Amino acid sequence: MSNSQQIFEAWLAGKITASECEQQLEPDTEWYSRFQTAQLLQRQAKAPFFAPVPEVDTMSIFAQQWQRPAKSSNWWPKLSVAFSVLALVVSLSPLELQMQDSGLTLIWRGGQQMQQQQLETLLAGYRKEQQDYIQTQLQSTQQQQASQLILLKDYLTEQQTKERRTDMLELVEYLNQQRQSDWHYWQENYQPSQARLDLGASPNAQNR
Amino acid sequence: MFKRSDESLIEKAIGGDAKAWQQLVSRYQAPLYYFGLRLLGSPDDARDLLQDVLIVLCRNLAQYRGDSSFKSWLFGIANYRAMDMLRKRKTTTEFTDEHDFYDDEAPSFEQQLYGQHTQRLVQQQLRHLPPEQRLVVELRFYQQFTFDEIADQLALSSNTIKSRFYAALDKLRTQLELADVEQSANF
Repeated sequence: MSNSQQIFEAWLAGKITASECEQQLEPDTEWYSRFQTAQLLQRQAKAPFFAPVPEVDTMSIFAQQWQRPAKSSNWWPKLSVAFSVLALVVSLSPLELQMQDSGLTLIWRGGQQMQQQQLETLLAGYRKEQQDYIQTQLQSTQQQQASQLILLKDYLTEQQTKERRTDMLELVEYLNQQRQSDWHYWQENYQPSQARLDLGASPNAQNR
Repeated sequence: MFKRSDESLIEKAIGGDAKAWQQLVSRYQAPLYYFGLRLLGSPDDARDLLQDVLIVLCRNLAQYRGDSSFKSWLFGIANYRAMDMLRKRKTTTEFTDEHDFYDDEAPSFEQQLYGQHTQRLVQQQLRHLPPEQRLVVELRFYQQFTFDEIADQLALSSNTIKSRFYAALDKLRTQLELADVEQSANF
């Protein structure tokens, strides 16, 4: 950017006055003539303009685009709902409106009765809670007993089987011992006699 | 009384406040119309441009985010529409001196003070500039936008805007000199 351009733009931006700019740009013909033309245009732009401005209707587009229909100011439905809620509250609460002797009385229905009712409700709740607890405990105990019985039965069956096997083994051992004992007895008492008998009966022994 | 900001008027208009919208329109109606008048050269076209820009503005009011001034944003729309209208015309030769939009019923004191003759001459010569150069001159002098704001509105670099601006000044100078010579010869 040339120095003249910088001076010109400083004037345009309002940083220096027109006379300062004119003085500095005078030697530069090109920028001086630009400055003069710009000054002419600036004067033109500042001059008032008197052409009448036509009216343009934008309200219909505006209404269509941005305006929402006004909220209904009918308060009857709201009032109706309010009274319904009030009636519900009065009927549920212990408030009572009584007509006595050509007069209206607003009373709070029986306080003691209400306390009694609350106590009964609490007691009934407690009772129900206790019954549920006992029921649960009973069921739990029954289940526990049933499982213990099964365990006992299994144990007994196993023990019985073990005992039978032991008895059989003892019997077999006893029988073996008996046979062993019979064998020894036979060896000691009958085998020498048998040998003698066998020796006496042979022809060689007779010849001798 | 304090003048309400454009942003405040926009916010209220978006909420459905017709008065705020009317105030916003009346604030920019004249600058937009004169912008169209100077740039397009015909009151009918300027009115069409004004109507078009106000409709676009109304529909896109909520899209203004406040990144630039509202005026700059609004003229961004106006520039685009005006250039579109000029492009449809294709040539600048359609401008003739028939489109003389100065009001003859204006006060004579001001007319004399600012020299209506010179004003007309400059306006006529401005119309003979290429549309891009005319637009930059319009935005810089008549709408008082900075080069950076104009660059932002036209989505161009600041240097391009400056080169268009200086070319416009040079061309206008030559045209005014020629016109002056012609007028002197006529006398």
